[in-house]
Amino acid sequence: MTKEFAVPPVDFSGGSTTGANFQQRRAPAPPFQPPRPSSASSSIPFMSFDAASAAASTPAGPFGGTIASSSSFGGGGGYASFEDEEPLLDELGIHPDQIWKKTRSILNPFRINKTVHKDSDLSGPIFLYLALCLFQLLAGKIQFGVILGWVVVSSIFLYIVFNMLAGRNGNLNLHTCTSLVGYSLLPVVMLSAVSLFVPQGAGPVRFVIAAAFVLWATRACSNLVVSLADGGEEHRGLISYACFLIYTLFSLLVIF
Amino acid sequence: MYNNMGPQPGMPRPPGNPQPGPFGNPFTGAGSGFIRGGLGAYGERILGSSSEYVQSNISRYFSDPQYYFQVNDQYVRNKLKVVLFPFLHRGHWTRISEPVGGRLSYKPPIYDINAPDLYIPFMAFGTYVVLAGLSLGLNGKFTPEALNWLFVKGLVGWFLQVMLLKVTLLSLGSGEAPLLDIVAYGGYAFAGLCLAGFSKIMWGYSYYALMPWTCLCTGIFLVKTMKRVLFAEVRSYDSSKHHYLLLFLALVQFPLLIWLGNISVNWLF
Repeated sequence: MTKEFAVPPVDFSGGSTTGANFQQRRAPAPPFQPPRPSSASSSIPFMSFDAASAAASTPAGPFGGTIASSSSFGGGGGYASFEDEEPLLDELGIHPDQIWKKTRSILNPFRINKTVHKDSDLSGPIFLYLALCLFQLLAGKIQFGVILGWVVVSSIFLYIVFNMLAGRNGNLNLHTCTSLVGYSLLPVVMLSAVSLFVPQGAGPVRFVIAAAFVLWATRACSNLVVSLADGGEEHRGLISYACFLIYTLFSLLVIF
Repeated sequence: MYNNMGPQPGMPRPPGNPQPGPFGNPFTGAGSGFIRGGLGAYGERILGSSSEYVQSNISRYFSDPQYYFQVNDQYVRNKLKVVLFPFLHRGHWTRISEPVGGRLSYKPPIYDINAPDLYIPFMAFGTYVVLAGLSLGLNGKFTPEALNWLFVKGLVGWFLQVMLLKVTLLSLGSGEAPLLDIVAYGGYAFAGLCLAGFSKIMWGYSYYALMPWTCLCTGIFLVKTMKRVLFAEVRSYDSSKHHYLLLFLALVQFPLLIWLGNISVNWLF
């Protein structure tokens, strides 16, 4: 069945109402635009494909019109042309350079750069979560749901503990909390990558390496949480113990 | 009043509804921020219209949870010492009360070592789960599902402990201690369990020495605390009935904690 996009109505002989209706019935409505009225000879300015399809809308070519108009046709309703659209990543809200900057800031556990973490986003944590699941998959453990569930539960746990401890001036919100817990998973991701090469079995080497990475993650997460939200300074030790519990839990998944 | 709550979901705002519970309005402070922030901008729309209903119901069953988190490092250290070695605690076990707004209320945990808090029980519970996972893993039986079941087991144990304390209070004629107090007292058992679990990982046989010790210490701690609670809450002081119930409380700790400390894949036993 030929796809007939709504090209400007071709004048059939007579231009009778039946002809126009016939045209209308056969032209499938584009998914996001209403079917063309028959009086389209007056150019309707908002129809984006007019410019392209007008050139191609020869009476002979439903195909030609199709090909020409589909290129600008696929450009989203309301946009003037394909080139004017927003890039896909921007539209989804994923900013790779920001993710890279934030990830790099976790790499140094001794100096916390809190300005780069000020706007929280969840796409970086999703990448890190997928990377952790990938490394676990390489180790033979299929734990996608488990890790996701544990990330959610631990970020809710940290959110509750921080806000309760901080009292009246606690203003950590759940989005920021999840974002920080997710970004601080980077050492755990590295641990799971490293533990692919460390010999199997619960030897002391594995534990020492795991302990180092867990302490790194704890330090990063607790410093970020305390510096980004008010009210946490005098409870630093208590909050970092909560973070320590969270990352020990993840390292259990990796070690065993 | 609710118009400008939208863009600041995380900020706690005191609502204009004055209905103080025993420790102040449970919706101020972090409680408000938690509940409203947790639901984002829709929180005040969902909760706003029914907040008085929800508030009155919640404050009937829960006292202000924020009271139990006013802790600091020093309190945590000293309280752990009291829970793990209760016989070393010199001084009295009664809570210090202060008149606040015409009613008698207890001082928060920072100022009073005998006040219950919820931070230690939560952290002890989490540590128990982590240590249980560690000991499962060292025996080669670790799976995430087993850890989830251990979490459930810990929750059941905590619930049983709370039920035990509540039944003790009720059978003596008054169950009016705040529920979160009882939950806190019930959760202190996990601190001893963590100690026993840790020693089990370090050296297997020390577990058999440390477990009765933990049960004993938790029993003593609960007896001394509940004695004061009973004294404060119950009208008539029927000494022999009190003492038998407290003894029963301490004796039941043994099977309960041994069950909780027995970490294996079959979570029920």
